Amino acid sequence: MYELPAHPAYDALFNPTEEHRMLREMVADFAAREVGPQAEEYDRKAHLNRALFNQVGELGLLGITVPEELGGAGLDAVAAVIVHEELSKFDPGFCLAYLAHSMLFVNNFLHCSNDEQKARFLGKTISGEWVGGMGMTEPDHGTDVLGMTTTAVLDGDHYVLNGTKTYITNGIEGDIFCVYAKTGGKISAFVVEATAPGFSKSAHIPKMGMRASSMSELIFDNCRVPVSNLLGEEGSGLTHMMRNLEIERLALAAMSTGIALRCVHEMVTYAHDRKAFGQSINRFGQIQRYIGESYASTEAARCLVYNVARAVAPDIQNRIGSDAAKLFAAPIGKQVADACMQVLGGAGYCDEYQIERLFRDAKLLEIGGGTIESHQKNLTKDLTRSICR
Amino acid sequence: MIIGVCLKQVPASDSRIKIDGSGAGVDASDLKMEINPYDEFALEEALKLKDAKVAKKVIVLTVGGSDSEQRIRDALARGADDAVRLDDAAFAGSDSLGIARILAAAAQKEGVGLILAGKQAIDDDNSQVPAMVAELLGWPQVTVVDKLELDGGSFKAWRQSGGGVRDVVTGSLPAVISADKGMNTPRYAKLRGIMMAKRKKIPVYDAAALGLDPASVGAAGAKVTQVNWSEPPARPPGRILSGEVPSMVKELVTLLRDEAKVL
Repeated sequence: MYELPAHPAYDALFNPTEEHRMLREMVADFAAREVGPQAEEYDRKAHLNRALFNQVGELGLLGITVPEELGGAGLDAVAAVIVHEELSKFDPGFCLAYLAHSMLFVNNFLHCSNDEQKARFLGKTISGEWVGGMGMTEPDHGTDVLGMTTTAVLDGDHYVLNGTKTYITNGIEGDIFCVYAKTGGKISAFVVEATAPGFSKSAHIPKMGMRASSMSELIFDNCRVPVSNLLGEEGSGLTHMMRNLEIERLALAAMSTGIALRCVHEMVTYAHDRKAFGQSINRFGQIQRYIGESYASTEAARCLVYNVARAVAPDIQNRIGSDAAKLFAAPIGKQVADACMQVLGGAGYCDEYQIERLFRDAKLLEIGGGTIESHQKNLTKDLTRSICR
Repeated sequence: MIIGVCLKQVPASDSRIKIDGSGAGVDASDLKMEINPYDEFALEEALKLKDAKVAKKVIVLTVGGSDSEQRIRDALARGADDAVRLDDAAFAGSDSLGIARILAAAAQKEGVGLILAGKQAIDDDNSQVPAMVAELLGWPQVTVVDKLELDGGSFKAWRQSGGGVRDVVTGSLPAVISADKGMNTPRYAKLRGIMMAKRKKIPVYDAAALGLDPASVGAAGAKVTQVNWSEPPARPPGRILSGEVPSMVKELVTLLRDEAKVL
């Protein structure tokens, strides 16, 4: 649903294999029948639809990048992009909860955990029995991640964590988190269960959009975490974090293209049906500009996102590509939602057409998972290193 | 027991249908295809019977070219065990009876003990094939079924017979049942099913493999030939009445009776 005209040759980029196409059709069908109808209700309730989350687990989508022998689907970054794009046509807020779980926790954990840790935690998170999330941002340190002040100090067979993480998606419902803390000045990664002594959460942090997912602080007050929950080696957390950020950024970029696809579809339909001065408003050049530019920018963003997704994998580092994809695509969702609202006029500003919700949701993509300014910083640094060496 | 599910791909229900240059077919170049929705009910019922261990295997039977394999794999991803694609140059131009001959032969070849099919395909809406398959096989049939129970070698089927009356039909297997809307809620494919579906081989049976005389199917065996398709007539524009409500009601009733002739 909400598909735009596409030449069959486009499949080479957007549905490169038969399973990608089947995945897209399955998620699109599920999103139209199950995700769309609940979106407005959970935007108002401002929390995760746990029953819907469980359904996504039953479909096998929570472990999309986990190898089949570990209970997942063993699919790639393109598949992750497809799922995020299709879900975001209907409910980006719910999709953000999906992303926080399946990308920030599950995919992250997959690549930095040992066999014993996988045996303890992977099954429950792939099935959806447990909701996962990731704790990186702190009240005083966002993009400046190396400045984080949360610490982990070894005490016998436990690490003792102190500090606060904030703006944590799935914070309220989360049962398990991947948390970054400094050990001896370097960043390490830990699995923290919500039942750990000394661990607590703040109340839900109200927010403008993405309201179908919760957000809270994670508070560590002499929180005791078993040594067996250290992910990788002490001090290896930054490497894990940076590697996982690539697929996270692609997924966030795909959420933006999903919003944009929906909005282009809505504005074309409305401009055809809506009459003014005796004719469809799509006869007016001002409206045509919104439609034409929105379509072209949406397709341009999709091409970049899917092209980069072909070159992001556990053994392929591509920070330049993933930063560029999110830098370019993130504003497109907001711009196209804005254009759609302008075409719909008063109807777009009201709840009924759901464009105002998509507009509110879209803004987060310029901030979360790396601000657009951080992508500009990274790209300048990486391009300079690559070209001027 | 093996359940055979007759599955046809049709243009998606929200497609804009265009007549091709010959005037006797549909221009399929830009059409998005999907599983015939009524066949989805048939497939779901078969899968439920397998889940309940009433059936041991579900096999999809599709008459179609290689382009229908996407739809067949969708059915495999939802849980069908196997599928066969029935394709031969001699099948081209088959009418409903020809299609029924091909499906009946495939069902026999696969040892099917129950055939489930949609009550009609939403492209040509002929509603003929399931009944013809039953007749060719000499099996009992119940059409437009919205509830089905199996008990050993017998079945009990519920169907709407119009005017709010419900028929309850019992019979013995093997049988042909055609599915109506409301029979169940078709399941989504699961990701694991999608991954497994891609690995399954879909055998292709031609007329020789099915033991069919080529002259009995396709254009050679067709009793019905489609000669012309035309667009539905353009709908006349709506009319908005004006004036006082009592006079508008009177005018509306007059128009409905004398002009629209619906009263």
